[in-house]
Amino acid sequence: MKSRKIYNRISVLREERGVSRKELAEKIGVNFQTVGYLERGEYNPSLDLAFKISEHFNLPVEFIFSTKPLKPMSQELFNHKNKKI
Amino acid sequence: MKREISKKNRRIVVIINYLSIFFILVFFYAGINIGWNVLIIAGEIIVIITAVMSFIYLHIRTHLWKLVHTSIEELDERQIQVRYESLRYSYSIFSIISLLVIFYHSLTIRGDVSFGMLILSSLIYLAHTLPSSIIAWTEKKI
Repeated sequence: MKSRKIYNRISVLREERGVSRKELAEKIGVNFQTVGYLERGEYNPSLDLAFKISEHFNLPVEFIFSTKPLKPMSQELFNHKNKKI
Repeated sequence: MKREISKKNRRIVVIINYLSIFFILVFFYAGINIGWNVLIIAGEIIVIITAVMSFIYLHIRTHLWKLVHTSIEELDERQIQVRYESLRYSYSIFSIISLLVIFYHSLTIRGDVSFGMLILSSLIYLAHTLPSSIIAWTEKKI
Protein backbone atom coordinates (compact mmCIF):
# COMPACT_ATOMS: atom_id res chain seq x y z
CA MET A 1 0.00 0.00 0.00
CA LYS A 2 1.36 3.36 -1.00
CA SER A 3 0.99 5.87 1.80
CA ARG A 4 -0.05 9.46 1.10
CA LYS A 5 2.26 12.39 1.49
CA ILE A 6 2.32 13.92 4.95
CA TYR A 7 3.26 17.60 5.11
CA ASN A 8 5.02 18.95 8.18
CA ARG A 9 6.44 22.05 9.82
CA ILE A 10 9.49 20.42 11.41
CA SER A 11 12.12 22.53 9.60
CA VAL A 12 10.29 25.82 10.37
CA LEU A 13 9.89 24.93 14.05
CA ARG A 14 13.44 23.67 14.31
CA GLU A 15 14.89 26.85 12.81
CA GLU A 16 12.56 29.06 14.86
CA ARG A 17 13.87 27.44 18.04
CA GLY A 18 17.48 27.35 16.90
CA VAL A 19 17.78 23.58 17.12
CA SER A 20 20.11 21.73 14.76
CA ARG A 21 19.07 18.51 13.01
CA LYS A 22 21.54 16.59 15.13
CA GLU A 23 20.16 18.03 18.39
CA LEU A 24 16.55 17.29 17.38
CA ALA A 25 17.56 13.79 16.29
CA GLU A 26 19.15 13.10 19.68
CA LYS A 27 16.05 14.37 21.50
CA ILE A 28 13.60 12.22 19.55
CA GLY A 29 15.92 9.21 19.29
CA VAL A 30 16.55 8.94 15.55
CA ASN A 31 19.50 9.29 13.19
CA PHE A 32 20.13 12.92 12.14
CA GLN A 33 19.60 11.98 8.48
CA THR A 34 16.11 10.76 9.36
CA VAL A 35 15.27 14.32 10.47
CA GLY A 36 16.29 15.51 6.98
CA TYR A 37 14.10 12.85 5.36
CA LEU A 38 11.18 13.90 7.59
CA GLU A 39 11.65 17.60 6.82
CA ARG A 40 11.74 17.00 3.07
CA GLY A 41 8.60 14.83 3.32
CA GLU A 42 10.49 11.84 1.95
CA TYR A 43 9.63 9.71 4.95
CA ASN A 44 6.35 9.56 6.87
CA PRO A 45 6.91 9.09 10.61
CA SER A 46 5.16 6.45 12.68
CA LEU A 47 2.51 7.66 15.12
CA ASP A 48 4.98 7.17 17.97
CA LEU A 49 7.64 9.32 16.29
CA ALA A 50 5.07 11.99 15.33
CA PHE A 51 4.03 12.24 19.00
CA LYS A 52 7.66 12.40 20.12
CA ILE A 53 8.18 15.36 17.76
CA SER A 54 5.01 17.11 18.91
CA GLU A 55 5.99 16.57 22.57
CA HIS A 56 9.45 17.96 21.85
CA PHE A 57 8.02 21.16 20.32
CA ASN A 58 5.19 21.19 22.86
CA LEU A 59 2.62 21.64 20.11
CA PRO A 60 -0.40 19.55 18.99
CA VAL A 61 0.49 16.87 16.47
CA GLU A 62 -2.06 18.26 13.97
CA PHE A 63 -0.25 21.61 14.03
CA ILE A 64 3.01 19.96 12.90
CA PHE A 65 1.67 17.28 10.54
CA SER A 66 -1.08 17.42 7.94
CA THR A 67 -2.25 15.49 4.90
CA LYS A 68 -2.85 18.82 3.11
CA PRO A 69 -0.15 21.42 2.31
CA LEU A 70 0.39 23.59 5.39
CA LYS A 71 -0.04 27.35 5.26
CA PRO A 72 2.79 29.59 6.52
CA MET A 73 2.66 29.98 10.32
CA SER A 74 2.26 33.78 10.03
CA GLN A 75 -0.89 33.30 7.93
CA GLU A 76 -2.26 30.75 10.40
CA LEU A 77 -1.68 33.22 13.22
CA PHE A 78 -3.36 36.05 11.27
CA ASN A 79 -6.41 33.85 10.50
CA HIS A 80 -6.58 32.76 14.15
CA LYS A 81 -6.52 36.39 15.36
CA ASN A 82 -9.20 37.42 12.81
CA LYS A 83 -11.44 34.57 13.98
CA LYS A 84 -11.18 35.83 17.56
CA ILE A 85 -12.14 39.38 16.54
CA MET B 1 34.84 8.97 10.03
CA LYS B 2 31.60 8.79 8.07
CA ARG B 3 31.84 10.05 4.51
CA GLU B 4 29.01 11.29 2.32
CA ILE B 5 29.23 10.27 -1.33
CA SER B 6 26.87 11.49 -4.05
CA LYS B 7 24.36 9.00 -5.44
CA LYS B 8 26.06 9.05 -8.87
CA ASN B 9 29.49 8.27 -7.37
CA ARG B 10 28.01 5.54 -5.17
CA ARG B 11 26.51 3.86 -8.22
CA ILE B 12 29.84 4.07 -10.06
CA VAL B 13 31.65 2.46 -7.09
CA VAL B 14 29.01 -0.32 -6.87
CA ILE B 15 29.64 -1.14 -10.56
CA ILE B 16 33.44 -0.97 -10.09
CA ASN B 17 33.24 -3.25 -7.04
CA TYR B 18 31.22 -6.00 -8.74
CA LEU B 19 33.17 -5.69 -12.00
CA SER B 20 36.42 -6.16 -10.07
CA ILE B 21 34.96 -9.31 -8.42
CA PHE B 22 33.97 -10.55 -11.88
CA PHE B 23 37.49 -9.89 -13.25
CA ILE B 24 39.08 -11.63 -10.24
CA LEU B 25 37.24 -14.75 -11.44
CA VAL B 26 38.17 -14.11 -15.09
CA PHE B 27 41.92 -13.70 -14.32
CA PHE B 28 41.88 -16.63 -11.88
CA TYR B 29 40.33 -19.08 -14.33
CA ALA B 30 42.47 -17.67 -17.18
CA GLY B 31 45.52 -18.35 -15.00
CA ILE B 32 44.40 -21.92 -14.34
CA ASN B 33 43.49 -22.69 -17.96
CA ILE B 34 46.15 -20.73 -19.90
CA GLY B 35 48.87 -20.68 -17.26
CA TRP B 36 49.98 -17.95 -14.88
CA ASN B 37 52.00 -15.37 -16.81
CA VAL B 38 53.08 -11.89 -15.71
CA LEU B 39 50.12 -10.21 -17.42
CA ILE B 40 47.53 -12.41 -15.72
CA ILE B 41 49.23 -12.13 -12.30
CA ALA B 42 49.43 -8.31 -12.65
CA GLY B 43 45.78 -8.17 -13.76
CA GLU B 44 44.71 -10.35 -10.83
CA ILE B 45 46.60 -8.19 -8.30
CA ILE B 46 45.15 -4.96 -9.76
CA VAL B 47 41.54 -6.20 -9.63
CA ILE B 48 41.97 -7.56 -6.08
CA ILE B 49 43.28 -4.15 -4.94
CA THR B 50 40.40 -2.42 -6.79
CA ALA B 51 37.87 -4.74 -5.14
CA VAL B 52 39.28 -4.10 -1.65
CA MET B 53 39.55 -0.32 -2.15
CA SER B 54 36.04 0.02 -3.59
CA PHE B 55 34.66 -2.16 -0.78
CA ILE B 56 36.24 0.05 1.90
CA TYR B 57 35.17 3.25 0.11
CA LEU B 58 31.57 2.14 -0.45
CA HIS B 59 30.69 -0.07 2.49
CA ILE B 60 32.97 0.88 5.38
CA ARG B 61 33.55 4.63 5.05
CA THR B 62 29.86 5.36 4.46
CA HIS B 63 28.85 3.12 7.42
CA LEU B 64 26.54 1.18 5.08
CA TRP B 65 28.05 -2.09 6.28
CA LYS B 66 27.09 -1.13 9.85
CA LEU B 67 23.56 -0.14 8.78
CA VAL B 68 22.95 -3.60 7.32
CA HIS B 69 24.79 -5.69 9.91
CA THR B 70 24.13 -3.91 13.23
CA SER B 71 21.36 -5.02 15.60
CA ILE B 72 17.84 -3.63 15.07
CA GLU B 73 17.88 -1.89 18.49
CA GLU B 74 20.57 0.50 17.25
CA LEU B 75 18.55 1.66 14.24
CA ASP B 76 15.66 4.09 13.99
CA GLU B 77 12.37 3.26 12.24
CA ARG B 78 13.42 4.71 8.84
CA GLN B 79 16.72 2.84 8.88
CA ILE B 80 14.90 -0.41 9.73
CA GLN B 81 12.53 0.19 6.81
CA VAL B 82 15.47 0.89 4.46
CA ARG B 83 17.22 -2.27 5.66
CA TYR B 84 14.17 -4.51 5.20
CA GLU B 85 13.60 -3.12 1.71
CA SER B 86 17.23 -3.72 0.71
CA LEU B 87 17.10 -7.29 2.09
CA ARG B 88 13.93 -7.98 0.11
CA TYR B 89 15.57 -6.91 -3.16
CA SER B 90 18.83 -8.70 -2.27
CA TYR B 91 17.01 -11.96 -1.72
CA SER B 92 15.45 -11.79 -5.19
CA ILE B 93 18.63 -10.66 -6.98
CA PHE B 94 20.80 -13.22 -5.20
CA SER B 95 18.38 -16.04 -6.02
CA ILE B 96 18.34 -15.11 -9.72
CA ILE B 97 22.15 -14.81 -9.93
CA SER B 98 22.67 -18.09 -8.05
CA LEU B 99 20.22 -19.88 -10.35
CA LEU B 100 21.97 -18.46 -13.43
CA VAL B 101 25.38 -19.59 -12.11
CA ILE B 102 24.04 -23.09 -11.35
CA PHE B 103 22.33 -23.24 -14.75
CA TYR B 104 25.51 -22.14 -16.58
CA HIS B 105 27.57 -24.61 -14.54
CA SER B 106 25.18 -27.48 -15.28
CA LEU B 107 25.53 -26.77 -19.02
CA THR B 108 29.33 -26.74 -18.90
CA ILE B 109 30.29 -29.36 -16.27
CA ARG B 110 31.79 -31.90 -18.70
CA GLY B 111 31.77 -34.60 -16.03
CA ASP B 112 33.20 -32.39 -13.25
CA VAL B 113 30.37 -31.54 -10.87
CA SER B 114 32.47 -29.63 -8.30
CA PHE B 115 31.96 -25.88 -8.01
CA GLY B 116 35.03 -23.67 -8.04
CA MET B 117 35.78 -22.38 -4.53
CA LEU B 118 36.28 -18.89 -5.95
CA ILE B 119 32.81 -18.91 -7.53
CA LEU B 120 31.28 -19.97 -4.21
CA SER B 121 33.29 -17.30 -2.38
CA SER B 122 32.07 -14.70 -4.87
CA LEU B 123 28.47 -15.76 -4.29
CA ILE B 124 28.96 -15.46 -0.51
CA TYR B 125 30.54 -12.03 -1.03
CA LEU B 126 27.56 -11.07 -3.20
CA ALA B 127 25.08 -12.26 -0.55
CA HIS B 128 26.82 -10.18 2.12
CA THR B 129 27.32 -6.99 0.12
CA LEU B 130 24.10 -6.86 -1.92
CA PRO B 131 21.91 -5.23 0.79
CA SER B 132 24.34 -2.36 1.39
CA SER B 133 25.00 -2.03 -2.36
CA ILE B 134 21.25 -1.71 -2.95
CA ILE B 135 21.04 1.01 -0.29
CA ALA B 136 24.01 2.78 -1.91
CA TRP B 137 22.29 2.49 -5.29
CA THR B 138 18.82 3.68 -4.25
CA GLU B 139 19.04 6.05 -1.28
CA LYS B 140 19.20 9.80 -1.88
CA LYS B 141 21.44 10.43 1.11
CA ILE B 142 23.32 8.01 3.32
